[in-house]
Amino acid sequence: MIKLYDYLLSVNCYKQRLLLSILDVPYERVDIDFYPGWEHKGAEFRKINPLGHIPVIDDDGYVLWDAHAILVYLASKYDPTGSWYPVSDPRRLGEVASWMLFAEGTTNTASAARLHVSLDYDFDLEACQAGAHRLFRVLDEHLWFQEQQGQEWVASGESPTVADIALFPDVALSEDGGISRLDYPALRRWTERVQRLPGFIDMPGIFPVAKAPA
Amino acid sequence: MTAPEPGSLLHPVASCADLVPRHVVKARLLGQDLAVWRADDGFINVWADRCIHRGVRLTVAANDGAELVCPYHGWRYSNRSGNCAYMPAHPSDAPPRRLRVPAFRSEERYGLIWSGGSPEAEPPRLPHLEADDTLVLRALPVNVPPDLALQGLHECSYQLGPAAGDAASISCDSAGPFAVAVTARTGSTEEIVVHFVQPVDGGRCVIRPVMRGTPAAGRRLSILRHHARQLEELRARLESSAGSRVTVRGPSTALEPLPRPSTTAASGRAPQLEVSVARKWLTAEGIAAFELAPMSGQLPSFQPGAHVDVHLPNGLVRQYSLTNGPGLTSVYRLGVKLEPDSRGGSRCMHDSVHEGDTLQLSEPHNNFPLRRDAARTVLIAGGIGVTPLLAMAQTLERQELAYELHYFAQSDDHLAFGEVLEPLSTGLVKHLGLSPDQTADEIEKITHDYGAASHLYVCGPGPMIEATRAIAGGSGWPDDAVHFEYFKNESELHDTSTFEVRLARTGRTLMVGAGISLLDSLRDAGVDMPSSCEQGVCGTCMATVLEGQLDHQDVFFNDSERAAGNQMLTCVSRAAGERIVLDL
Repeated sequence: MIKLYDYLLSVNCYKQRLLLSILDVPYERVDIDFYPGWEHKGAEFRKINPLGHIPVIDDDGYVLWDAHAILVYLASKYDPTGSWYPVSDPRRLGEVASWMLFAEGTTNTASAARLHVSLDYDFDLEACQAGAHRLFRVLDEHLWFQEQQGQEWVASGESPTVADIALFPDVALSEDGGISRLDYPALRRWTERVQRLPGFIDMPGIFPVAKAPA
Repeated sequence: MTAPEPGSLLHPVASCADLVPRHVVKARLLGQDLAVWRADDGFINVWADRCIHRGVRLTVAANDGAELVCPYHGWRYSNRSGNCAYMPAHPSDAPPRRLRVPAFRSEERYGLIWSGGSPEAEPPRLPHLEADDTLVLRALPVNVPPDLALQGLHECSYQLGPAAGDAASISCDSAGPFAVAVTARTGSTEEIVVHFVQPVDGGRCVIRPVMRGTPAAGRRLSILRHHARQLEELRARLESSAGSRVTVRGPSTALEPLPRPSTTAASGRAPQLEVSVARKWLTAEGIAAFELAPMSGQLPSFQPGAHVDVHLPNGLVRQYSLTNGPGLTSVYRLGVKLEPDSRGGSRCMHDSVHEGDTLQLSEPHNNFPLRRDAARTVLIAGGIGVTPLLAMAQTLERQELAYELHYFAQSDDHLAFGEVLEPLSTGLVKHLGLSPDQTADEIEKITHDYGAASHLYVCGPGPMIEATRAIAGGSGWPDDAVHFEYFKNESELHDTSTFEVRLARTGRTLMVGAGISLLDSLRDAGVDMPSSCEQGVCGTCMATVLEGQLDHQDVFFNDSERAAGNQMLTCVSRAAGERIVLDL
């Protein structure tokens, strides 16, 4: 069974739990004392991941770190429909790769601001917030134009991809880092669509949404 | 000419397309945070973004199509009125009517939602645009004060031309105090875009461009992209030139929420609402249905089980339960059975009240509140007694809470509100054409296995309620799990006793003589007691008793409440001894 080195309040760990839940893949959690114990920075954990960060998965001895890389691996291996990581469609795959790189940016700004506010990480809060707003403007515009074309997800196509999973928690928890979503109505509609996906699970700080009308 | 105060105008707060189903839009106008949502009936609510309980933002609440549900303690707020409809921590109580989220104006025009505090103001009507033929372009939030954005739009209008418009001549004019219209002419074609500026607060605004007319489908997307690009360039210029010079000022005028629905305070038995009969139809054999619409504003909200007093044209006052489910807030829907021995109430409703007539009502009262935390909810309806239970069943259905609705009636033709019953199929059990004994047998089967946290609600003819209470009691249902509402008090009333009443708060003492009710005696002495049915059914005229034995003659209290002896209905009940003391 997949072993996930996990922490409840980490957005990057939550991305893995969310995809595993949607794909209905069983896994075992190994709780890391991220805060206040800094266990992921300790000598023991660095034997698993020398970079000292989580999440890490161990799938029958195959060890992989880096949140967005793990999403790619899990979707490629465990999604029989091939829609979450669309390797058979080069254009969509290119878009997915592009937005996954964009998600590195939202993680390093919006989610970094959240880590600073709630878990004492030493980041420049104002710079993180300003950077997140710059990216959110771009993403909101992109999603607004997607809606204008009848598209619901970050990459084109009928169904969501790992790019949606990679971006979702950075956006949905941004207010924990003092980043208001007042200016991003299309982003707020998109987070609700993600929350209505079958198999969706939440994490602390994400509020439930009403069911879609029948 | 001095510019009008921003607070005296309506401003756009969202585009209509932003209000997707079951969503709550976050907006801000003149420093006021707003939660904007569309209910399933199409009504757009613009509310203060704050749960009145603990201040949680309502933009994180769930829009269930009829109510917003706060994620913190589950308080539910009704479409249209903003009244609190249910508090899960007080499952057996109807929330006080004064619990209400402040609501603001909501109007639709040019594809935008307009709001503000002024009760009189209207969204602008511009010669540049036609109300029902516009293309709403992408709105852009800008971190500069509204006046700088308006100035920037005027100065840079020459750069806001059409996509294929190299030869365009561009002019701009002020389209009211918060909008700039840009007109581009190329040969014989003309493109008009009005840029409305939503004043967010002292330091921010949203530019909301609306284009006149509908472009060909093939050009739509390129037009949207072109204007979004141009406006982004303008934003970049505005924000960089404003830079650190922008000092965020507070709004000069705060938004005033709308007043509460116009009702007078509950006093005596006076009506509080004026409604018109919007629709009247025969919903079953001998049962007329009515939809009553407000003459102005919104109807006060209500909870399942509530009733209103209807002040009839012939001077009588009658109580009728609201059958509305949680989605129906634009009208009150009643069902009235023609009683063969009518004392004038049901006859008048059937024969003399017509569509278009005006009626006077009380605000809704709820003496039959529904808990939504039960492990099992059993609703037992006899005939027209289905009316409050229909409201309950629809509420439970909507919240996906399990229930059984046992509907006892003479035949299929006697089943009222078939269109409401139809979608309830899973919870509905019909019992048709049974004799009283057969009915008792069925009720025995329904109630024989009492389990913890089960609740039973029964409404129907008096003997059926009596039988149900007795049968359920015999099967172990405690008094506080059996909820009932009578239509009328069929017991013989005695008013021959004479007694003394001391009013503990005011220190006064009065005598109640034979032939006069305690309620009337209190009113004669100047005590303002609300009342409704005045026959010991509805509970409106209840008083707290501090001392003295009581002669209960109502059908409102259950046996335990009677035995406790600390409350009485002043319309029919009296002192058993010579003296009582009331907390009045």
